Amino acid sequence: MEDNNEVLLKVDHLCQYFRVGSFETKAVDDVSFDIKKGEVFGLVGESGCGKTTTGRTIIRLYNPTGGDVFFKGTRIGAGTRNYENAIKDAKALYKKKIEDTSDNAEKEKLKAELKAIVDEQKQKIKEAKYDQNNCNKVYSKKIVSEVKAKYEELIAKESNPEKLAQLKKEYKAELYKAKNTKLSTQIQMIFQDPIASLDPRMTVKEIIAEGLVIQGEKDRKVIEEKVYEMLELVGLVREHAARYPHEFSGGQRQRIGVARSIIMNPDMIIADEPVSALDVSIQAQVINLLNELRHKFGLTILFVAHDLSVVKYFSDRIGVMYFGKMVELTTSDELFAHPLHPYTRSLLSAIPLPDPEYEKQRQRITYNPLAEHDYTVDKPSFREVAPGHFVRCNNAEFEKYQKELAE
Amino acid sequence: MEKKLQVKDLTVSFRTQDGKVQAVRGINFDLNKGETLAIVGESGSGKSVTSKAILGILAGNAIIDGGEIIYDGKDLLKITEDEFHEIRGDKIAMIFQDPMSSLNPIIKIGRQLTEAMILNGKARQKESRKRFNSTLKLLQGNMVEAVAKGNPVKAAEIKRKCADFDKFEYKHLSLESDFNDAHEAAAEAVFDLEPVLFEISKNALKDGKYRLKRICALALKSVHTYVVDADKDALVAATETVKGNISYAVKSGDYNGIVPSLERIQDILNRALALTAPNFFAMGYYMTFAKEPLPVMPVEELNKFLRKYLDDNFMLEFIADAKQGLMYSADVAYTEKAEAIKFLKENRKFFEAENLDKKDCMKAVKVFNKEVTEGIDRMEIVKDSLAYTFGTALENSIRKYFMASVKNIKEQERYAKQKAKYDALVAKQKTPSSEVIPASILDLEQLRANMLYQIDRLIAHYEKRIEERASRDYDAETVALIDFLKEKASGVVNKVTKQMAKTKAIKLMQEVGIPEPRKRYNQYPFEFSGGMRQRIVIAIALAADPDILICDEPTTALDVTIQSQILELINKFKADRKLTVIFITHDLGVVANMADRVAVMYAGKIVEIGTANDVFYDAAHPYTWALLSSMPDLDTNEKLDAIPGTPPNMIYPPVGDAFAARNKYAMKIDFEKQPPMFKISETHSAATWLLHPDAPKVDKPKSITDRIARMQERRNKDGR
Repeated sequence: MEDNNEVLLKVDHLCQYFRVGSFETKAVDDVSFDIKKGEVFGLVGESGCGKTTTGRTIIRLYNPTGGDVFFKGTRIGAGTRNYENAIKDAKALYKKKIEDTSDNAEKEKLKAELKAIVDEQKQKIKEAKYDQNNCNKVYSKKIVSEVKAKYEELIAKESNPEKLAQLKKEYKAELYKAKNTKLSTQIQMIFQDPIASLDPRMTVKEIIAEGLVIQGEKDRKVIEEKVYEMLELVGLVREHAARYPHEFSGGQRQRIGVARSIIMNPDMIIADEPVSALDVSIQAQVINLLNELRHKFGLTILFVAHDLSVVKYFSDRIGVMYFGKMVELTTSDELFAHPLHPYTRSLLSAIPLPDPEYEKQRQRITYNPLAEHDYTVDKPSFREVAPGHFVRCNNAEFEKYQKELAE
Repeated sequence: MEKKLQVKDLTVSFRTQDGKVQAVRGINFDLNKGETLAIVGESGSGKSVTSKAILGILAGNAIIDGGEIIYDGKDLLKITEDEFHEIRGDKIAMIFQDPMSSLNPIIKIGRQLTEAMILNGKARQKESRKRFNSTLKLLQGNMVEAVAKGNPVKAAEIKRKCADFDKFEYKHLSLESDFNDAHEAAAEAVFDLEPVLFEISKNALKDGKYRLKRICALALKSVHTYVVDADKDALVAATETVKGNISYAVKSGDYNGIVPSLERIQDILNRALALTAPNFFAMGYYMTFAKEPLPVMPVEELNKFLRKYLDDNFMLEFIADAKQGLMYSADVAYTEKAEAIKFLKENRKFFEAENLDKKDCMKAVKVFNKEVTEGIDRMEIVKDSLAYTFGTALENSIRKYFMASVKNIKEQERYAKQKAKYDALVAKQKTPSSEVIPASILDLEQLRANMLYQIDRLIAHYEKRIEERASRDYDAETVALIDFLKEKASGVVNKVTKQMAKTKAIKLMQEVGIPEPRKRYNQYPFEFSGGMRQRIVIAIALAADPDILICDEPTTALDVTIQSQILELINKFKADRKLTVIFITHDLGVVANMADRVAVMYAGKIVEIGTANDVFYDAAHPYTWALLSSMPDLDTNEKLDAIPGTPPNMIYPPVGDAFAARNKYAMKIDFEKQPPMFKISETHSAATWLLHPDAPKVDKPKSITDRIARMQERRNKDGR
């Protein structure tokens, strides 16, 4: 991608646990990555590895259990589990310390220390909850202050009264717009199953316009124009607006889903397996459409899929997930040229290619975490082996991988 | 090569409110034994309809307009539902696209898996007993006729021989099944031991108590004279050591006490598995009739000794007699066949008469059928199904003929009535609210030709059989017959109990890659994820040990690793069991992996068919090009060539080439006339006018030639 380092979305130690009976399933466990503006970030892994959950947690269909999600520098999702754990650990530690000492003064001092730590963490929890619930407000304030700064400076400089009036009018409009800006509408999602994600009792127009209506657009003409514009953008025609989803073919339905997601003019789209349920020829149509839109609007896309050839074709960078953990992250060319983690290798060895002679020779590599890694002493973590190439490994493996890359 | 399945001119359409949807329009293909045919195409191209027609599970509104699907000599489109019951699931199994709709939500997975096995086991046992008894009896009868020729002493001797055969065959089986139990137990124990030892070494043993106990039980079970004999004491001792320490080891996590013993067991069993098995068939005879204990010698020598004993005392003589019996039976059948041909040829004109009467026809069919069945050689192992089904098939076509003749009259009446009404309205200068539906008249001559075709086909078939007479190898046939008897007898002894079915089911679950199969066995379908459900469905399909497996997009909903595992699994079963597979998919990578031959379907027709190499490296039809270039592979960077537009509406199928409207290479003739199949090579043909000698030369799209070059390059690189 072009040389821009503006991080649009930052996912920091994200955890998403689900309670199943008395157990907790760690669907996403300590996942961190950045998505730069204008890039397509692919997320691959087998089913059940948590790639869809990651996407859904980013858009806050689930509340994260732990870790933070930053979008445009504003915290939009924040879990409290790390802070709760910190409190628990501190309490256990100090309890032991207090029991061990017999000196009363010392005890009081330790208690005070404990209280300070607990209060600090509690404050963080409070902040996290506030941020999560008020990210729109925080963001609009930020925009408002930016607009104010910009226009006040302009107004102060301007001397021509006519232009000044014009500028003031502009300023007012901009301010109004800024106040009503919502951060949450700037991430949109395209779902996997185009049949299940469209309400069968709504016309296409209603479906596409729903977001606009919810966000307070009342002018019917504006809505209509916008819907038509979107329909034409995704390769459908105006006449389709009055029809119901069941009257469309699979590919057309997915186009409606795309139209629905781009009508809010988002900066980022989370595409959750948008082509998995489609025929090959239609897959190509939808991928081409997404590619076009991406270049037209400078969209950033988080592309979740299990078809590796499509991900390779479409993404700039790819993250590989295995059982809730990110195991490897790098640019797509690098990933396919130099896969380091054994799971990535096994995944790449499983891709069927339309080449019978090659397929007859292809050997699948099986991945058995027990056999591959020895994590009893040396614990693994997510490290940067080469610039921009992250692998989950421990010290010994880190050195091994670096040597491999050097060769 | 043996042809397993032949589809000829299959045409299927569906009645809908809007009109007749022509889903499949005259497709032809053959399926050889042990081969995989992949059918590729977009949804709505008729690939699923074809597979459902083969399995006889088309929806209620389907009409089979014509064609034949020949399996095992039978036309699957003409046999009754009862006959289909024996084929469906047992001989032809199917893996469906959507696993949830093919599993019963309120029955546990375990029961769904074992149900077919137990039912099949019972049916097979029953059938085996029946076949064994009837075949032996027939053989006896023929032998008496052929060898004894009215000599009562000789006849009694032959009868005794047959009874002896019966007797020692059962002894053989009981010996062999004991051996098999022990041998299987040893194999299973080794199979289980390996991961256990590995997990112990990694200190991550799961479900340890159960698995260790099972290994111990299996190891003890494998103690048998011909499996673990010399090391018997060592094995038992090692097993006892393990047994005594299981609870302690699992509780404390300290496996040091049992690992050496486990390794010892593994070593002993591995050696035991490498031993040769004795010849139980001969041993059964020796033990039943020799009245002496078995001589003690190494297995190889023992085998030779037993074989010789059997041949000298019984087998050679029996085979000679059986051969005579077979020849006698064949001779009788050939004379009857010649008579049947003569009769059919003479009486064929009965059905050519101007006015046919239904009752007379049915009576005639009975006579015809009697003549034909007399010509069947009952001693044949592979049943001559064309002759067996002749009566029903002919009866069916006669019924169709008379039904059509009645229907045509009614249809004409209706048409005349409606037309009159319509014309009256038009005469009154009103606009009629409805249109007149044209009368659909069935071609009676065609139906009559169908009837005659049945007879002609049988005549040709019998004539061919008589021609083959000279080239028959009776020696080989006799051996085959005795092997057949052996096999049927083993079917009687090998009972499928609930426990056995469960063990087999759990093994199958393990093979298809379901973790913790013992726990999963007692769960309901909704507790499984999509991939797991698909694996269960595959396990169910394979449980019945089918002949032909139809896979309708089995891996479309799965991710690559599991897809790859499942494809490997199907390939493995295919190799092990000589399975014939029809694989339906739209993922060309999967096709390249699986297929020996590929058929590309579009709008209910096969547009290109050839071996995988033909279709992938030398595709000729523009639709195949479009399919190939619309999918990105790992090196694709340019814009994808999506196929514009959508498939045609099959209520009004296009006059010319169905793909013409979306085809950038389309010529004028493509819109006017359907292209025939042009043969490119022996194995490869395609239906496109571009292959016509007068057509302009069109090169393949650049993206495809590029890709083929890239593939070549990668192969060369890997090859080095």
